[in-house]
Amino acid sequence: MEQSGASLLERDLAKLIVQTLKLKIDPAAIEPEAALFGEGLGLDSIDALELSLAISQTYGYQLKSSDPQIKTIFSSLRALAEAIEKNRTK
Amino acid sequence: MREIPLIGHYDVDDVLAWDQEGPRTVRRFLADAASLAESLPDRSTVLNLATNRYDFLVGFAAAIMRRQMTLLPQSRASQTLLRIAGEFSGSYALTDRGDAIEGIDSVSIQLRGDQALWPMDIPRIPTDRVVAVAFTSGSTGRPMPNKKTWGALTAVAQATGARLGIKAGDRLSVVATVPHQHMFGLEASVMLPIMHGLAMHAGRPLFPADIRSMLADAASRWMLVTTPLHLRACVSESISIPPGGLILSATAPLPRNLAQQAEEHFQAEVHEIFGFAEAGSIAERRTIDGDRWQPLEGVHVAQDASSCLVQAWYLPTPVPVPDRITVDTDGTFVVHGREADQVNVAGHRISLGDLNQLLLKIDGVQDGVFFLPEEGASLVTRLMAFVVAPGKTSEEIQRTLRAYVDPVFMPRPLVCVPSLPRNATGKLPRESVSELARQWLEREGDGA
Repeated sequence: MEQSGASLLERDLAKLIVQTLKLKIDPAAIEPEAALFGEGLGLDSIDALELSLAISQTYGYQLKSSDPQIKTIFSSLRALAEAIEKNRTK
Repeated sequence: MREIPLIGHYDVDDVLAWDQEGPRTVRRFLADAASLAESLPDRSTVLNLATNRYDFLVGFAAAIMRRQMTLLPQSRASQTLLRIAGEFSGSYALTDRGDAIEGIDSVSIQLRGDQALWPMDIPRIPTDRVVAVAFTSGSTGRPMPNKKTWGALTAVAQATGARLGIKAGDRLSVVATVPHQHMFGLEASVMLPIMHGLAMHAGRPLFPADIRSMLADAASRWMLVTTPLHLRACVSESISIPPGGLILSATAPLPRNLAQQAEEHFQAEVHEIFGFAEAGSIAERRTIDGDRWQPLEGVHVAQDASSCLVQAWYLPTPVPVPDRITVDTDGTFVVHGREADQVNVAGHRISLGDLNQLLLKIDGVQDGVFFLPEEGASLVTRLMAFVVAPGKTSEEIQRTLRAYVDPVFMPRPLVCVPSLPRNATGKLPRESVSELARQWLEREGDGA
Protein backbone atom coordinates (compact mmCIF):
# COMPACT_ATOMS: atom_id res chain seq x y z
CA MET A 1 0.00 0.00 0.00
CA GLU A 2 1.22 3.47 -0.82
CA GLN A 3 0.27 6.66 0.94
CA SER A 4 -1.63 8.25 -1.86
CA GLY A 5 -1.10 11.97 -1.67
CA ALA A 6 0.20 12.04 1.89
CA SER A 7 1.54 15.43 2.91
CA LEU A 8 5.00 15.93 4.36
CA LEU A 9 3.53 16.43 7.85
CA GLU A 10 1.43 13.28 7.46
CA ARG A 11 4.52 11.29 6.54
CA ASP A 12 6.51 12.71 9.48
CA LEU A 13 3.61 12.00 11.80
CA ALA A 14 3.30 8.42 10.54
CA LYS A 15 6.99 7.94 11.39
CA LEU A 16 6.45 9.45 14.85
CA ILE A 17 3.50 7.11 15.51
CA VAL A 18 5.40 4.00 14.41
CA GLN A 19 8.48 5.00 16.42
CA THR A 20 6.64 6.06 19.57
CA LEU A 21 4.37 3.03 19.69
CA LYS A 22 7.01 0.60 18.37
CA LEU A 23 4.62 -0.69 15.75
CA LYS A 24 6.01 -3.36 13.46
CA ILE A 25 4.80 -1.68 10.31
CA ASP A 26 6.18 0.53 7.59
CA PRO A 27 5.10 4.15 8.29
CA ALA A 28 4.27 4.45 4.59
CA ALA A 29 1.67 1.71 5.06
CA ILE A 30 -0.52 3.91 7.27
CA GLU A 31 -3.29 5.15 5.02
CA PRO A 32 -3.98 8.86 5.70
CA GLU A 33 -7.74 8.29 5.92
CA ALA A 34 -7.77 4.92 7.73
CA ALA A 35 -8.79 4.56 11.39
CA LEU A 36 -5.93 4.69 13.90
CA PHE A 37 -7.78 3.30 16.92
CA GLY A 38 -10.05 0.32 17.50
CA GLU A 39 -10.25 -1.80 14.38
CA GLY A 40 -7.73 0.22 12.36
CA LEU A 41 -4.24 0.04 13.82
CA GLY A 42 -5.78 -1.35 17.01
CA LEU A 43 -4.45 1.44 19.21
CA ASP A 44 -5.86 2.06 22.69
CA SER A 45 -6.00 4.87 25.24
CA ILE A 46 -2.47 4.20 26.50
CA ASP A 47 -1.22 4.64 22.95
CA ALA A 48 -3.18 7.88 22.79
CA LEU A 49 -1.41 9.05 25.96
CA GLU A 50 2.05 8.03 24.68
CA LEU A 51 1.31 9.66 21.36
CA SER A 52 0.10 12.87 23.03
CA LEU A 53 3.45 13.19 24.84
CA ALA A 54 5.39 12.68 21.62
CA ILE A 55 3.20 15.22 19.77
CA SER A 56 3.63 17.73 22.59
CA GLN A 57 7.41 17.32 22.53
CA THR A 58 7.71 17.40 18.75
CA TYR A 59 5.09 19.98 17.78
CA GLY A 60 4.36 21.82 21.03
CA TYR A 61 0.65 20.92 20.83
CA GLN A 62 -0.96 19.59 24.01
CA LEU A 63 -3.94 17.37 23.21
CA LYS A 64 -7.03 17.58 25.41
CA SER A 65 -9.86 15.05 25.46
CA SER A 66 -12.25 17.78 26.58
CA ASP A 67 -11.63 19.27 23.14
CA PRO A 68 -14.98 18.75 21.38
CA GLN A 69 -13.09 17.67 18.27
CA ILE A 70 -11.00 14.99 20.00
CA LYS A 71 -12.78 12.00 18.41
CA THR A 72 -12.31 13.54 14.98
CA ILE A 73 -8.69 14.50 15.71
CA PHE A 74 -7.77 10.91 16.51
CA SER A 75 -9.90 9.39 13.77
CA SER A 76 -7.13 9.24 11.17
CA LEU A 77 -3.59 10.25 10.34
CA ARG A 78 -4.95 13.04 8.16
CA ALA A 79 -7.25 14.48 10.86
CA LEU A 80 -4.44 14.34 13.44
CA ALA A 81 -2.04 16.09 11.04
CA GLU A 82 -4.61 18.82 10.37
CA ALA A 83 -5.09 19.44 14.10
CA ILE A 84 -1.33 19.62 14.61
CA GLU A 85 -0.94 22.03 11.70
CA LYS A 86 -3.54 24.32 13.26
CA ASN A 87 -2.24 24.18 16.85
CA ARG A 88 1.50 23.58 16.60
CA THR A 89 3.86 25.97 18.38
CA LYS A 90 7.07 24.42 17.00
CA MET B 1 -26.74 -6.18 62.16
CA ARG B 2 -24.66 -3.03 61.91
CA GLU B 3 -25.68 -0.53 59.26
CA ILE B 4 -23.67 2.23 57.58
CA PRO B 5 -25.31 5.08 55.62
CA LEU B 6 -24.93 5.17 51.84
CA ILE B 7 -22.99 8.44 52.06
CA GLY B 8 -21.40 10.23 54.98
CA HIS B 9 -20.38 13.70 56.21
CA TYR B 10 -22.35 15.77 53.70
CA ASP B 11 -25.01 18.44 54.10
CA VAL B 12 -27.82 18.17 51.55
CA ASP B 13 -26.61 21.16 49.56
CA ASP B 14 -22.95 20.10 49.46
CA VAL B 15 -21.49 19.32 46.05
CA LEU B 16 -21.02 15.58 45.66
CA ALA B 17 -19.87 15.63 42.03
CA TRP B 18 -19.07 18.17 39.36
CA ASP B 19 -18.08 18.41 35.72
CA GLN B 20 -18.39 20.84 32.81
CA GLU B 21 -22.17 20.65 33.15
CA GLY B 22 -21.99 22.01 36.68
CA PRO B 23 -22.27 20.72 40.25
CA ARG B 24 -24.50 17.87 41.48
CA THR B 25 -25.52 18.34 45.07
CA VAL B 26 -26.22 15.62 47.59
CA ARG B 27 -29.92 16.46 47.35
CA ARG B 28 -29.83 15.95 43.60
CA PHE B 29 -27.84 12.71 43.94
CA LEU B 30 -30.23 11.12 46.41
CA ALA B 31 -33.17 12.05 44.21
CA ASP B 32 -31.42 10.73 41.06
CA ALA B 33 -30.55 7.45 42.80
CA ALA B 34 -34.00 6.93 44.35
CA SER B 35 -35.69 7.71 41.07
CA LEU B 36 -33.45 5.31 39.11
CA ALA B 37 -33.91 2.62 41.79
CA GLU B 38 -37.66 2.71 41.20
CA SER B 39 -37.26 2.11 37.48
CA LEU B 40 -34.71 -0.75 37.64
CA PRO B 41 -35.86 -4.21 36.53
CA ASP B 42 -36.44 -6.82 39.20
CA ARG B 43 -33.15 -8.72 38.93
CA SER B 44 -30.47 -9.67 41.42
CA THR B 45 -27.30 -8.66 39.55
CA VAL B 46 -26.36 -5.74 37.30
CA LEU B 47 -23.32 -4.96 35.15
CA ASN B 48 -22.72 -1.24 35.72
CA LEU B 49 -20.89 -0.09 32.59
CA ALA B 50 -21.42 3.67 33.04
CA THR B 51 -18.43 5.65 31.79
CA ASN B 52 -19.34 8.83 33.69
CA ARG B 53 -18.37 8.52 37.37
CA TYR B 54 -21.47 10.29 38.65
CA ASP B 55 -23.76 8.12 36.50
CA PHE B 56 -21.89 5.07 37.77
CA LEU B 57 -22.42 6.16 41.36
CA VAL B 58 -26.12 6.82 40.78
CA GLY B 59 -26.43 3.32 39.25
CA PHE B 60 -24.43 1.73 42.07
CA ALA B 61 -26.53 3.46 44.74
CA ALA B 62 -29.80 2.58 42.96
CA ALA B 63 -28.72 -1.07 42.74
CA ILE B 64 -27.86 -1.09 46.46
CA MET B 65 -31.28 0.41 47.26
CA ARG B 66 -32.86 -2.43 45.26
CA ARG B 67 -30.59 -5.05 46.90
CA GLN B 68 -28.93 -5.83 43.58
CA MET B 69 -25.27 -6.79 43.36
CA THR B 70 -23.18 -4.64 41.02
CA LEU B 71 -20.87 -6.71 38.82
CA LEU B 72 -17.57 -5.01 37.95
CA PRO B 73 -16.06 -6.64 34.84
CA GLN B 74 -12.28 -6.21 34.36
CA SER B 75 -12.84 -5.13 30.79
CA ARG B 76 -15.55 -4.18 28.34
CA ALA B 77 -14.48 -6.86 25.88
CA SER B 78 -17.78 -8.26 24.58
CA GLN B 79 -16.99 -11.91 25.34
CA THR B 80 -15.92 -11.05 28.91
CA LEU B 81 -19.25 -9.31 29.52
CA LEU B 82 -21.22 -12.20 28.00
CA ARG B 83 -19.35 -14.74 30.08
CA ILE B 84 -20.00 -12.83 33.31
CA ALA B 85 -23.65 -12.30 32.41
CA GLY B 86 -23.83 -16.04 31.73
CA GLU B 87 -22.43 -16.94 35.14
CA PHE B 88 -24.81 -14.55 36.92
CA SER B 89 -27.90 -15.43 34.96
CA GLY B 90 -30.58 -12.77 34.78
CA SER B 91 -27.97 -9.99 34.81
CA TYR B 92 -28.68 -6.81 32.89
CA ALA B 93 -26.40 -3.94 31.95
CA LEU B 94 -26.63 -0.32 33.07
CA THR B 95 -25.15 2.08 30.55
CA ASP B 96 -24.98 5.85 30.27
CA ARG B 97 -24.30 6.49 26.60
CA GLY B 98 -27.09 4.52 25.07
CA ASP B 99 -24.62 1.67 24.43
CA ALA B 100 -26.34 -1.63 23.83
CA ILE B 101 -24.42 -4.79 24.65
CA GLU B 102 -25.33 -7.57 22.27
CA GLY B 103 -26.83 -10.51 24.13
CA ILE B 104 -27.38 -8.61 27.41
CA ASP B 105 -30.50 -6.62 28.33
CA SER B 106 -29.44 -3.00 28.70
CA VAL B 107 -30.99 -0.19 30.69
CA SER B 108 -29.89 3.37 30.12
CA ILE B 109 -29.22 5.45 33.25
CA GLN B 110 -31.74 8.29 33.34
CA LEU B 111 -31.04 11.13 35.75
CA ARG B 112 -34.52 12.28 36.70
CA GLY B 113 -33.57 14.01 39.94
CA ASP B 114 -37.20 13.89 40.93
CA GLN B 115 -37.38 16.66 43.54
CA ALA B 116 -40.82 15.46 44.65
CA LEU B 117 -39.11 12.56 46.38
CA TRP B 118 -37.48 15.00 48.80
CA PRO B 119 -37.25 14.98 51.81
CA MET B 120 -35.79 11.51 52.02
CA ASP B 121 -33.59 9.71 54.48
CA ILE B 122 -30.12 8.60 53.52
CA PRO B 123 -30.47 4.81 53.13
CA ARG B 124 -28.64 2.71 55.72
CA ILE B 125 -27.03 -0.46 54.38
CA PRO B 126 -26.29 -3.58 56.45
CA THR B 127 -22.53 -4.18 56.54
CA ASP B 128 -22.87 -7.88 55.65
CA ARG B 129 -24.74 -7.24 52.40
CA VAL B 130 -22.80 -8.10 49.23
CA VAL B 131 -23.04 -4.97 47.08
CA ALA B 132 -20.36 -5.55 44.45
CA VAL B 133 -18.51 -8.36 42.70
CA ALA B 134 -15.03 -7.67 41.32
CA PHE B 135 -13.55 -10.12 38.84
CA THR B 136 -9.97 -11.30 38.64
CA SER B 137 -8.24 -13.52 36.17
CA GLY B 138 -7.23 -16.93 37.40
CA SER B 139 -5.33 -19.67 35.63
CA THR B 140 -8.55 -21.40 34.62
CA GLY B 141 -9.37 -18.97 31.83
CA ARG B 142 -12.57 -17.95 33.63
CA PRO B 143 -13.10 -14.64 35.44
CA MET B 144 -13.09 -15.34 39.19
CA PRO B 145 -15.74 -13.48 41.21
CA ASN B 146 -14.73 -11.67 44.43
CA LYS B 147 -17.71 -10.62 46.49
CA LYS B 148 -17.53 -7.28 48.31
CA THR B 149 -19.75 -6.51 51.26
CA TRP B 150 -20.82 -2.98 52.17
CA GLY B 151 -18.81 -3.47 55.36
CA ALA B 152 -15.63 -4.26 53.40
CA LEU B 153 -15.98 -1.28 51.03
CA THR B 154 -16.75 1.20 53.79
CA ALA B 155 -14.01 -0.17 56.08
CA VAL B 156 -11.37 0.24 53.38
CA ALA B 157 -12.61 3.76 52.60
CA GLN B 158 -12.48 4.75 56.30
CA ALA B 159 -9.04 3.21 56.83
CA THR B 160 -7.62 4.83 53.69
CA GLY B 161 -9.04 8.22 54.62
CA ALA B 162 -7.66 7.93 58.16
CA ARG B 163 -4.20 7.02 56.86
CA LEU B 164 -4.17 9.95 54.42
CA GLY B 165 -5.32 12.31 57.16
CA ILE B 166 -8.61 13.13 55.40
CA LYS B 167 -11.11 14.51 57.88
CA ALA B 168 -14.84 15.03 57.58
CA GLY B 169 -15.25 18.62 56.47
CA ASP B 170 -12.00 18.69 54.45
CA ARG B 171 -14.16 18.87 51.31
CA LEU B 172 -11.36 17.77 48.98
CA SER B 173 -12.08 17.82 45.24
CA VAL B 174 -11.23 14.41 43.82
CA VAL B 175 -10.13 13.93 40.20
CA ALA B 176 -9.41 10.37 39.08
CA THR B 177 -7.74 8.95 35.99
CA VAL B 178 -8.61 5.37 37.00
CA PRO B 179 -11.79 3.60 35.92
CA HIS B 180 -14.40 3.27 38.66
CA GLN B 181 -15.13 -0.34 37.64
CA HIS B 182 -11.67 -1.35 38.82
CA MET B 183 -11.26 -2.19 42.49
CA PHE B 184 -8.83 0.65 43.24
CA GLY B 185 -10.96 3.08 41.25
CA LEU B 186 -14.11 2.03 43.10
CA GLU B 187 -12.38 2.32 46.46
CA ALA B 188 -10.41 5.53 45.97
CA SER B 189 -12.52 7.52 43.50
CA VAL B 190 -16.04 6.54 44.62
CA MET B 191 -16.12 5.01 48.13
CA LEU B 192 -13.42 7.25 49.66
CA PRO B 193 -15.20 10.46 48.53
CA ILE B 194 -18.73 9.39 49.54
CA MET B 195 -17.62 8.25 52.99
CA HIS B 196 -15.81 11.54 53.72
CA GLY B 197 -18.11 14.16 52.25
CA LEU B 198 -15.75 14.91 49.32
CA ALA B 199 -16.61 16.16 45.82
CA MET B 200 -15.68 13.99 42.82
CA HIS B 201 -15.17 14.96 39.22
CA ALA B 202 -17.57 12.92 37.07
CA GLY B 203 -15.13 12.59 34.20
CA ARG B 204 -11.99 10.56 33.70
CA PRO B 205 -9.11 12.61 32.29
CA LEU B 206 -6.56 10.96 30.03
CA PHE B 207 -4.14 13.61 28.79
CA PRO B 208 -2.01 15.78 31.10
CA ALA B 209 -3.79 18.90 29.76
CA ASP B 210 -7.15 17.39 30.86
CA ILE B 211 -5.82 16.62 34.32
CA ARG B 212 -4.45 20.15 34.61
CA SER B 213 -7.72 21.84 33.68
CA MET B 214 -9.80 19.67 36.02
CA LEU B 215 -7.47 20.26 38.97
CA ALA B 216 -7.35 23.98 38.18
CA ASP B 217 -11.20 23.99 38.20
CA ALA B 218 -11.39 22.31 41.60
CA ALA B 219 -13.27 24.45 44.09
CA SER B 220 -11.13 23.28 47.02
CA ARG B 221 -7.88 21.48 47.79
CA TRP B 222 -7.52 18.78 45.14
CA MET B 223 -6.78 15.10 45.35
CA LEU B 224 -5.60 13.20 42.28
CA VAL B 225 -6.30 9.45 42.20
CA THR B 226 -4.06 8.04 39.53
CA THR B 227 -1.46 5.54 38.32
CA PRO B 228 2.30 5.71 37.73
CA LEU B 229 1.58 5.91 34.00
CA HIS B 230 -0.54 9.08 34.19
CA LEU B 231 1.71 10.63 36.83
CA ARG B 232 4.75 10.12 34.60
CA ALA B 233 2.89 11.82 31.76
CA CYS B 234 2.00 14.81 33.99
CA VAL B 235 5.59 15.17 35.20
CA SER B 236 6.98 14.83 31.70
CA GLU B 237 4.61 17.57 30.45
CA SER B 238 5.38 19.72 33.54
CA ILE B 239 1.74 20.73 33.84
CA SER B 240 1.13 23.59 36.21
CA ILE B 241 -1.54 23.14 38.87
CA PRO B 242 -2.37 24.83 42.18
CA PRO B 243 0.08 23.66 44.89
CA GLY B 244 -0.81 21.79 48.05
CA GLY B 245 -2.87 18.90 46.68
CA LEU B 246 -2.71 15.21 47.46
CA ILE B 247 -1.75 12.49 44.99
CA LEU B 248 -2.76 8.86 45.48
CA SER B 249 -1.31 6.30 43.09
CA ALA B 250 -1.85 2.57 42.74
CA THR B 251 -2.06 -0.36 40.30
CA ALA B 252 1.73 -0.64 39.83
CA PRO B 253 4.77 0.32 41.92
CA LEU B 254 5.66 3.98 41.63
CA PRO B 255 9.41 4.56 41.14
CA ARG B 256 10.76 6.67 44.01
CA ASN B 257 12.44 9.23 41.74
CA LEU B 258 9.15 9.81 39.92
CA ALA B 259 7.38 10.33 43.27
CA GLN B 260 10.14 12.76 44.28
CA GLN B 261 9.78 14.74 41.04
CA ALA B 262 5.98 14.83 41.40
CA GLU B 263 6.20 16.01 45.04
CA GLU B 264 8.56 18.80 44.08
CA HIS B 265 6.88 19.87 40.87
CA PHE B 266 3.29 19.80 42.14
CA GLN B 267 4.05 20.75 45.77
CA ALA B 268 1.90 17.80 46.76
CA GLU B 269 2.35 14.70 48.89
CA VAL B 270 2.47 11.51 46.85
CA HIS B 271 1.04 8.44 48.56
CA GLU B 272 0.63 4.95 47.21
CA ILE B 273 -1.84 2.17 47.88
CA PHE B 274 -1.00 -1.51 47.67
CA GLY B 275 -3.92 -3.79 47.00
CA PHE B 276 -5.48 -6.31 44.69
CA ALA B 277 -9.04 -7.08 43.69
CA GLU B 278 -9.36 -10.15 45.93
CA ALA B 279 -8.74 -8.17 49.16
CA GLY B 280 -9.02 -4.52 48.09
CA SER B 281 -6.56 -1.88 49.32
CA ILE B 282 -4.48 -3.33 52.15
CA ALA B 283 -1.53 -0.99 52.73
CA GLU B 284 -0.19 2.50 52.12
CA ARG B 285 3.11 4.35 51.94
CA ARG B 286 4.37 7.82 51.15
CA THR B 287 6.67 6.76 48.33
CA ILE B 288 9.58 9.10 49.15
CA ASP B 289 9.74 7.71 52.69
CA GLY B 290 10.93 4.29 51.59
CA ASP B 291 9.97 0.85 50.34
CA ARG B 292 8.00 -0.36 53.34
CA TRP B 293 4.22 -0.70 53.16
CA GLN B 294 2.20 0.04 56.27
CA PRO B 295 -0.97 -2.11 56.47
CA LEU B 296 -4.21 -0.12 56.78
CA GLU B 297 -5.95 -0.10 60.15
CA GLY B 298 -7.64 -3.48 60.70
CA VAL B 299 -5.49 -5.30 58.15
CA HIS B 300 -2.98 -7.95 59.17
CA VAL B 301 -0.54 -9.60 56.78
CA ALA B 302 0.79 -12.94 57.98
CA GLN B 303 3.67 -14.83 56.44
CA ASP B 304 4.25 -18.55 56.76
CA ALA B 305 6.75 -20.79 55.01
CA SER B 306 4.96 -20.95 51.70
CA SER B 307 2.64 -17.96 51.38
CA CYS B 308 1.43 -14.63 52.67
CA LEU B 309 -2.16 -14.12 53.76
CA VAL B 310 -4.16 -10.96 54.36
CA GLN B 311 -6.60 -10.99 57.24
CA ALA B 312 -9.23 -8.39 58.12
CA TRP B 313 -12.55 -8.57 59.94
CA TYR B 314 -14.42 -7.85 56.73
CA LEU B 315 -12.74 -10.62 54.71
CA PRO B 316 -14.64 -13.92 55.17
CA THR B 317 -11.41 -15.94 54.82
CA PRO B 318 -7.72 -14.97 54.69
CA VAL B 319 -6.70 -13.97 51.14
CA PRO B 320 -3.35 -14.97 49.58
CA VAL B 321 -1.20 -12.05 48.38
CA PRO B 322 -0.52 -12.43 44.63
CA ASP B 323 2.94 -10.83 44.95
CA ARG B 324 6.11 -12.05 46.59
CA ILE B 325 6.47 -10.07 49.82
CA THR B 326 8.46 -10.16 53.07
CA VAL B 327 6.65 -9.23 56.27
CA ASP B 328 8.62 -7.63 59.12
CA THR B 329 7.94 -8.26 62.80
CA ASP B 330 6.18 -4.89 63.06
CA GLY B 331 3.68 -5.96 60.38
CA THR B 332 5.03 -3.71 57.61
CA PHE B 333 6.15 -5.42 54.43
CA VAL B 334 8.26 -5.09 51.30
CA VAL B 335 7.04 -6.18 47.86
CA HIS B 336 9.60 -7.99 45.71
CA GLY B 337 7.58 -8.73 42.59
CA ARG B 338 4.76 -10.65 41.11
CA GLU B 339 4.11 -14.33 41.49
CA ALA B 340 5.42 -16.06 38.37
CA ASP B 341 2.11 -16.39 36.55
CA GLN B 342 0.95 -12.80 37.10
CA VAL B 343 1.78 -9.88 34.83
CA ASN B 344 0.91 -6.21 35.15
CA VAL B 345 0.44 -4.14 32.01
CA ALA B 346 -0.35 -0.46 32.52
CA GLY B 347 -1.73 -1.21 35.97
CA HIS B 348 -3.95 -4.09 34.88
CA ARG B 349 -3.12 -7.46 36.37
CA ILE B 350 -3.80 -10.73 34.60
CA SER B 351 -2.62 -14.29 34.77
CA LEU B 352 -0.48 -15.44 31.83
CA GLY B 353 -2.11 -18.85 32.20
CA ASP B 354 -5.49 -17.24 31.68
CA LEU B 355 -4.30 -15.42 28.55
CA ASN B 356 -2.73 -18.61 27.18
CA GLN B 357 -6.02 -20.46 27.70
CA LEU B 358 -7.87 -17.79 25.74
CA LEU B 359 -5.36 -18.09 22.91
CA LEU B 360 -5.81 -21.86 22.73
CA LYS B 361 -9.58 -21.53 22.47
CA ILE B 362 -9.31 -19.63 19.19
CA ASP B 363 -10.32 -21.69 16.20
CA GLY B 364 -7.25 -22.86 14.26
CA VAL B 365 -4.76 -22.13 17.05
CA GLN B 366 -2.80 -25.30 17.87
CA ASP B 367 -0.42 -23.85 20.44
CA GLY B 368 0.35 -20.45 21.82
CA VAL B 369 2.01 -18.53 24.62
CA PHE B 370 2.08 -14.96 25.92
CA PHE B 371 5.29 -13.34 27.10
CA LEU B 372 6.09 -10.06 28.87
CA PRO B 373 9.50 -8.72 27.78
CA GLU B 374 11.83 -6.75 30.07
CA GLU B 375 10.78 -3.15 30.59
CA GLY B 376 11.96 -0.74 27.93
CA ALA B 377 11.93 3.02 27.54
CA SER B 378 8.25 3.51 26.70
CA LEU B 379 5.53 4.31 29.24
CA VAL B 380 4.19 0.78 29.03
CA THR B 381 5.81 -2.52 28.13
CA ARG B 382 3.40 -4.60 26.06
CA LEU B 383 2.93 -8.34 25.94
CA MET B 384 4.09 -10.47 23.02
CA ALA B 385 2.52 -13.72 21.88
CA PHE B 386 3.87 -16.64 19.88
CA VAL B 387 1.25 -18.72 18.15
CA VAL B 388 1.20 -21.92 16.12
CA ALA B 389 -1.75 -21.65 13.76
CA PRO B 390 -1.09 -23.00 10.26
CA GLY B 391 -3.21 -21.26 7.66
CA LYS B 392 -4.12 -18.36 9.95
CA THR B 393 -2.64 -14.86 9.85
CA SER B 394 -1.67 -12.95 12.96
CA GLU B 395 -4.28 -10.30 12.02
CA GLU B 396 -7.06 -12.91 12.06
CA ILE B 397 -6.01 -14.18 15.47
CA GLN B 398 -5.68 -10.64 16.83
CA ARG B 399 -9.18 -9.80 15.63
CA THR B 400 -10.68 -12.77 17.50
CA LEU B 401 -8.59 -12.15 20.58
CA ARG B 402 -9.79 -8.54 20.77
CA ALA B 403 -13.29 -9.72 21.67
CA TYR B 404 -11.94 -11.58 24.70
CA VAL B 405 -9.31 -9.39 26.33
CA ASP B 406 -8.86 -5.82 27.47
CA PRO B 407 -6.96 -3.79 24.84
CA VAL B 408 -3.96 -3.36 27.18
CA PHE B 409 -3.33 -7.09 27.01
CA MET B 410 -3.38 -7.31 23.22
CA PRO B 411 0.01 -8.73 22.17
CA ARG B 412 2.41 -6.47 20.27
CA PRO B 413 3.36 -8.29 18.24
CA LEU B 414 1.55 -11.57 17.82
CA VAL B 415 4.06 -13.73 15.98
CA CYS B 416 3.07 -16.86 14.07
CA VAL B 417 5.71 -19.58 14.44
CA PRO B 418 5.92 -23.18 13.13
CA SER B 419 6.24 -24.62 16.67
CA LEU B 420 6.94 -23.68 20.28
CA PRO B 421 10.07 -24.86 22.11
CA ARG B 422 8.27 -27.32 24.40
CA ASN B 423 10.50 -29.73 26.33
CA ALA B 424 10.24 -33.52 26.52
CA THR B 425 7.47 -33.35 29.12
CA GLY B 426 5.48 -30.93 26.99
CA LYS B 427 6.23 -28.01 29.30
CA LEU B 428 7.21 -24.63 28.01
CA PRO B 429 9.88 -23.21 30.34
CA ARG B 430 9.89 -19.44 30.72
CA GLU B 431 13.57 -19.36 29.69
CA SER B 432 12.74 -20.96 26.35
CA VAL B 433 10.00 -18.42 25.61
CA SER B 434 12.33 -15.66 26.71
CA GLU B 435 14.97 -16.95 24.28
CA LEU B 436 12.37 -17.12 21.49
CA ALA B 437 11.43 -13.51 22.19
CA ARG B 438 15.08 -12.42 22.31
CA GLN B 439 15.80 -14.05 18.95
CA TRP B 440 12.71 -12.50 17.41
CA LEU B 441 13.51 -9.01 18.69
CA GLU B 442 17.11 -9.33 17.50
CA ARG B 443 15.93 -10.34 14.04
CA GLU B 444 13.21 -7.72 13.72
CA GLY B 445 14.95 -4.89 15.58
CA ASP B 446 13.14 -3.10 18.38
CA GLY B 447 11.36 -0.78 16.00
CA ALA B 448 12.88 2.33 17.59
